[in-house]
Amino acid sequence: MERSAHATFWSRKLEGFGRGWYKFSRNPLSIIGLIAVLLVSFLATFAPFVAPYPKHAGVFVNFAEASQPPSLRHLFGTDVVGRDILSRIFFGFRFSLMLGVVVLTLVVPPGVILGLTAGYFKGTWIDTVIMRITDIFVAVPPLILALAICSVLSPNIFHAMIAVSLMWWPWYTRLVYGLSSSLRNEFFVQAAEVTGASRLHILFKEILPNCLSPIFTKMSLDMGWVILIGASLSFVGLGVQPPKPGLGTMVADGRIYMPDQWWITVFPAFAIMLVVLGFNLLGDGLRDLFAVEEV
Amino acid sequence: MKRSLVIGVIGLLVVSIGLVCWAGGSLRSTFAWPTYADPAVGSDYSSSSTLVNLYDSLVYPTLEGSVKPDVAESWDASPDGLTWTFYLRSGVKFHDGTELTAEDVAFSMDRLTTIGEGYGYLFIGRVASTEAVDKYTVRFHMAETFGPFLTNLVRLYILNKDLVMANLEDGPYDDFGDYGKKYLLTHDAGSGAYTIKEFPLEEYVLMEKYPDYWGEIDPDAPDEVKFIATTEAMTVRTLMANKELEISDQWQTAEGFATLDRMEGVDIARFYMGGVFFYMIHTKRVPTDCIHFRKAMAWAVDYETAAALDESHPAHGPVSVDFPGWNPDVFTYHQDLDKACQELALSKYATSDVLDCIEVCCGDDGCTTAQERICYRECWDKIGLEVDVHWCAEVPTEEKVALLFQANMAEIGIKVNVIRTPWMTMIDEMADMEASPNIETIYVAPHYPEAGSMLESRYHSDSAATWEQNEWLLDWIFDAAIKDAIATVDIETRFAKYRDLQDYIVALCPSIYLNDQLERHAYQSYIDWPAAKGNVIKVMGYNMDARFIKVLPH
Repeated sequence: MERSAHATFWSRKLEGFGRGWYKFSRNPLSIIGLIAVLLVSFLATFAPFVAPYPKHAGVFVNFAEASQPPSLRHLFGTDVVGRDILSRIFFGFRFSLMLGVVVLTLVVPPGVILGLTAGYFKGTWIDTVIMRITDIFVAVPPLILALAICSVLSPNIFHAMIAVSLMWWPWYTRLVYGLSSSLRNEFFVQAAEVTGASRLHILFKEILPNCLSPIFTKMSLDMGWVILIGASLSFVGLGVQPPKPGLGTMVADGRIYMPDQWWITVFPAFAIMLVVLGFNLLGDGLRDLFAVEEV
Repeated sequence: MKRSLVIGVIGLLVVSIGLVCWAGGSLRSTFAWPTYADPAVGSDYSSSSTLVNLYDSLVYPTLEGSVKPDVAESWDASPDGLTWTFYLRSGVKFHDGTELTAEDVAFSMDRLTTIGEGYGYLFIGRVASTEAVDKYTVRFHMAETFGPFLTNLVRLYILNKDLVMANLEDGPYDDFGDYGKKYLLTHDAGSGAYTIKEFPLEEYVLMEKYPDYWGEIDPDAPDEVKFIATTEAMTVRTLMANKELEISDQWQTAEGFATLDRMEGVDIARFYMGGVFFYMIHTKRVPTDCIHFRKAMAWAVDYETAAALDESHPAHGPVSVDFPGWNPDVFTYHQDLDKACQELALSKYATSDVLDCIEVCCGDDGCTTAQERICYRECWDKIGLEVDVHWCAEVPTEEKVALLFQANMAEIGIKVNVIRTPWMTMIDEMADMEASPNIETIYVAPHYPEAGSMLESRYHSDSAATWEQNEWLLDWIFDAAIKDAIATVDIETRFAKYRDLQDYIVALCPSIYLNDQLERHAYQSYIDWPAAKGNVIKVMGYNMDARFIKVLPH
């Protein structure tokens, strides 16, 4: 009997996954996005093993091999101090993904909690205080705020993470605020209130689960944006510091050697495009997956 | 016959139009900003080049390193060297048409020494007073003897006193208000071959030929001179390719110059001006406050590779090779990692824990294997000593050298943070001892053709808090010695003292002397530029005196 129930549970899970995969895979671009994200994640995770010259991601110079064009020895060529660009791109993915993951880990919980709270208590002073503070942060252009913070603090990847995090949480607050303020009037929430459920229970057990789909979709889309902002900070020298291989830093370092030594800039730029496009396409796929289809 | 006549007339018209289009021509050059056109403020490369074109001085530098008459027709000095009298030529006109007189010279010297910026340090404390004896005679009363006084006078640019006084604003100089500083930020008050036409700050300074200029001016000299505030590689290449730039700045990379050299009608000029590429080490900041730590760094640098990146040769001390007063016997570091490790072990940061750790890693034989080297570096990592190197964002070659330096230091266990810093930020942070980083990487050229110029501007306490010194040496023994050397009138004795001072400075190891600066400029082949042909005046800015640069028909 128990065994039969267990089998039914898994068959339902599989069926649900199959339905989800069917909806997701109907758009080939979503598959491309998924593959790009998986590929980048794999390369970033196993960079020390898959990069042809892992030492080139650290303190290393070899002027005898400087500015070599793409060849079998160096598929993406070398930069002006002789470092293999392909290897540095693999390690650059690490910093990009790390930035995205850390920033979203830092901003999503507080952003969501504040949005849930403000939405549930809509019309009270709690709503006013939270949402006006949110409005202040939203009013400042994100990149300008990040540049200002990174300029005041010493430039490095850690401070870039803090800067991007400080400007990103309000968007989750606003998203969840809208959802929460509409869900609070739903019957199931009112039923929970009538049965004496605590506010914590209502916020996190009743409302939050119904907000997860758009949150996950936004997270996937935001990964690309956060990585792009991080690359922008690195491009102006406020993000990843040499010799660490930030993708934005690599593009910035190579731009003065264009167009003769195009590979120094073009390949890192393509790498940024790959990772950002991958997450955006994946986000679109997730949005389709969670969307309620009209009959 | 009729047809030939028509063709001939058309041909003549085309040639005439071409000549009219070319007539006079423009000389456009790129520079690293800021440019200060105020003779009492500016002293860097772009400022000096601008001042040379806008102002006259009493004397003019020669190719041989001495001076020749300019506004002063002749001069004499008292036997004790404490009084110098200059006899001015008549008929020298300022750009507003008024005549240059001894009053203006006296005013210019007083203003320069009162404001105390720019080239003021050359005369402060040395010139006691300046006296206008008559309309065309000016006399300097020296507070002390001053050996290179005559050569330093190339930096006394003569201002139009009446014009400056008519444009005073409120300021800290009592009756002189702001001494005309605000006015001279974007205007000139000179008598030079060129006068300011437009000066939008941070963009460019545009100068036009002064028609009543009294002095020698080449018939093919440009009518307009434009110094553009950029060193951005793509901009320079585009301007050069479009023939919208005649002479490039010197801050392009080796790859950039190679690209420019491949352009049709573009050549590269290469010459030494006496400049040296310094790693200026902060001697009052942890951990570079320890002399053994600094010496360890000096032993660890790969000088040959660093110099090759600049297409130059390694430097020999703080004075450029063969520069007047250079010491050929000065101690010179080369890369020796064993000596570097020995010096590091002597530093005050080599605690017993670190030394014990190294002992365990490498034993008594030193760190010879790769594994031992890694272990050695980990021993130093434990105490977390870091050295910040700020390289100038406008000079991309400096990044390569900084990364080489970082790799060299990693060999001996010193962690280096390489930080790209805009030039204006570098100037700001060097004005404050607390804000100055461990190392600033800067090219410095002498202000007059003597070793004393470099020694004084780099290491005298008066130059601390300026962009020319990040060392914060503040060594009164050196201050007194360089003062004594410069006060020495006999040139042989003076140069002997310069040589001793080079030994003294190198022993303190306040800087790493990477390479002599090879100035490279891309220039259009329709420019006849004396410096490109080897006629180099080794005084910063004077090779950009536009009245001797020909813009040929093209």
